[in-house]
Amino acid sequence: MIYFTELERLPFYDVKGEYLGRLEDLCVDPSQNAQRVALYLVKSPRKTVLRIPHDQVQSISMLAAQTTVPAASLVVHAPDEGLLRVKKDVLDQQIIDVNHRKVVRVNDVDFDIQPVNGHAELRIVGADVGLAAGLRRLLQGTIAKHRIRSLTSPIPSKTIPWEFVNLIEPDPARRVKLRISYDRLSELHPADIADILESLSRDEQKALVEGLDDETAAEVISEIPTEMQAALLESMPSEKAADIVEEMSPDEAADVLQEMPPEASAEVLADMETEEATEVRSLLGFEERTAGALMTTEFIVVGEEATLEGAIAALRTFEGKLESVHMIYLIGAGGALTGVVPLAQILLADSSTHLKELSMDPLISVHAHADQKSVVALFHKYNLVALPVVDEKSHLLGVVTADDVLEVVVNRS
Amino acid sequence: MAVVGPGIITANVDNDAGGILTYSQAGATFGYSLLWTLLPVTVALIVVQEMVARMGVVTGKGLADLIREEYGLRMTFLVMALLLVADLGNTISEFAGLASGMSVVGASRYIVVPLGALLVWVMVVQGTYQSVEKIFLVACLFYVAYPISCFLAHPHWSDALKGTFIPHMRFNSSYLFMLIGLVGTTIAPWMQFYLQSAVVEKGIKVKDYRLSRWDVIVGCIMTDVVAFFIIAACAATIYVAGHGKIQTPGDAALALRPLAGRAASYLFAFGLCNASLFSACILPLATAYYVCEGLGVESGVNKRLHEAPAFYALYTSLIAIGALVVLFLNEDRQIPIILLSQVINGILLPFVLIFMLRLINREDLMGDYRNNRTFNIIAWVTCVVMIALTLVLVASTFFPAQTHM
Repeated sequence: MIYFTELERLPFYDVKGEYLGRLEDLCVDPSQNAQRVALYLVKSPRKTVLRIPHDQVQSISMLAAQTTVPAASLVVHAPDEGLLRVKKDVLDQQIIDVNHRKVVRVNDVDFDIQPVNGHAELRIVGADVGLAAGLRRLLQGTIAKHRIRSLTSPIPSKTIPWEFVNLIEPDPARRVKLRISYDRLSELHPADIADILESLSRDEQKALVEGLDDETAAEVISEIPTEMQAALLESMPSEKAADIVEEMSPDEAADVLQEMPPEASAEVLADMETEEATEVRSLLGFEERTAGALMTTEFIVVGEEATLEGAIAALRTFEGKLESVHMIYLIGAGGALTGVVPLAQILLADSSTHLKELSMDPLISVHAHADQKSVVALFHKYNLVALPVVDEKSHLLGVVTADDVLEVVVNRS
Repeated sequence: MAVVGPGIITANVDNDAGGILTYSQAGATFGYSLLWTLLPVTVALIVVQEMVARMGVVTGKGLADLIREEYGLRMTFLVMALLLVADLGNTISEFAGLASGMSVVGASRYIVVPLGALLVWVMVVQGTYQSVEKIFLVACLFYVAYPISCFLAHPHWSDALKGTFIPHMRFNSSYLFMLIGLVGTTIAPWMQFYLQSAVVEKGIKVKDYRLSRWDVIVGCIMTDVVAFFIIAACAATIYVAGHGKIQTPGDAALALRPLAGRAASYLFAFGLCNASLFSACILPLATAYYVCEGLGVESGVNKRLHEAPAFYALYTSLIAIGALVVLFLNEDRQIPIILLSQVINGILLPFVLIFMLRLINREDLMGDYRNNRTFNIIAWVTCVVMIALTLVLVASTFFPAQTHM
């Protein structure tokens, strides 16, 4: 193990022992190998930066490094956006520790020295975020390297293995060049990704969300505060924002669009698929803090004459999120809500049973213009998990679910 | 309300116990003749504060974060360590100010200081950014005690206005040192860190920046209007009566009683207690914020205790140490600590201002929101003048015999 603090300013010599300069930075080429140091940048006494390819380094240690080639064959480094620079892009920057699901700042970078075909290669082991690494940084260059090692060795180190490190790169073009992907990150629970998102600046948030697939992005965005959602979506191209909003549940989508300035939300709505846009538009008509603004328009409805088989068929063809379905709603000939059947009842009944027989009694519903306080009161009084929302003619408009109510209560306290 | 808060709060905290003491001394010793400095001071304050607010809005990162990313861990650590010491000294002087303000109504410091410390601590630990900010904004309103107190002192308004708008120079050392003291208390390093972090935590968007700028400007003006009234009140009474030896900020409140009446005196003391408590809350908070930011540890009022242990540990110990020192060390033994913190502030200010100016002109960070040429000239001139004056102030603390106060 060798640390970047020990490698920085390391003297380099060429094959004949001629002094080349001191190590300035290390580059990784993610298009070839995500862990191997591909280039050594060495600053010569004449202030030019030489690039030494990895296969031209004979040996490397805490004291010095030597190349396999003469000084004359080395070229001056030209900036290359496709290379990841350890000092410039990693050290002191924020990274995402996928394992511990949080954002941390890098104090040092740890490497392994490996002999390969008669020369030495450096491989990144991980990003060091611990106290020991911080101490090494403070002491770097003041006392001998082995003294620093013995001083900091009693302190337990905190290294994030390189494969669990997610870099945050705000520039999308560079993200592609560096092959930064958020695959591992998107396997986390959306609520955990949301926590990570909240501790980043807006450009970084944008970078991260754009790196996720639309569905995950929608779930993640639904978990952050509405103002932050709005700010984030507003900063994105409207097509991208529309793709994400389409994947959100209609009530969440309506909430965030309401928070955005009218021109911005109109643009997003225009870029959305017609069906989703219509659903969201119908919700946007309701005043804030009413049942109508809280409800979602994704629910399962069947005619009141339907049998249990009909209900199961409706469940199969349902396009929304199944985990949020708790009830099946029955409507009469005129479209008015006539019954509510809990899913559990359906599990236990015969396939020929008429749904109407399973309906809950009494039928509890709320008017779309009712204040959200009365919605909370109904949930509390009747121990509900879902509450149908109706208009003057008892037409079913949507459903308020327990998680929406929980959010109202939590935000109020 | 979406953008109001950070600018106004930061600027008002500037009128803390130390600030009030300096203003009182200026008014009591030199009458209305130093009022004119408030105009350039306001401009300087606006220029500097506007830049950090802009950096916060555009980058979404705190100043300590930016310094860390740009100048590395060692520089950040150095700056943070010095700021920690400086702010500890400031916190001590806030609790001393509270004790001195409450002594006007005869309350014992052994009751007032622990209670104040507890109040401040509970408020931030239990609160969210939104609730804490509301309390802070109310605290800003209480500064109105000073204008009222000033009206009760019946200042000579035409002299006061003349003193404000017609620059006046005296070339004796005590006047010059007072002048530098006035300017020096205005722009402190911690304010830049606090303001930028507060702007970030509030989540102000780039398109709302124009409004946010007004928050900063109004705050800076409010601050110096309050300073005007403090100086004028002391000028109208203590200076005119000719017995103007003010050593603690509470001395001014006491001196007002025979000259301007009980009400004016109590209001002055009330303003002092409010300012001290307010600053005793913000200073440790700001310190905890930027130290955690710079060293990459979780921070923020919105985080719960277990989410940001280092943040709350720092905040708590600053308040505890500040209060304990005021309770158990004699006043003459507190003075070296406070002087030390003044010196450290003075040494740090150039670094912080230069870091700021360099960061705000970086295209990759600020894009189109970099300083333009004109603003850069104004900003550099302001910073150079501030740095020069602060360094003289630092030097003067080493040679106190020359200040003749």
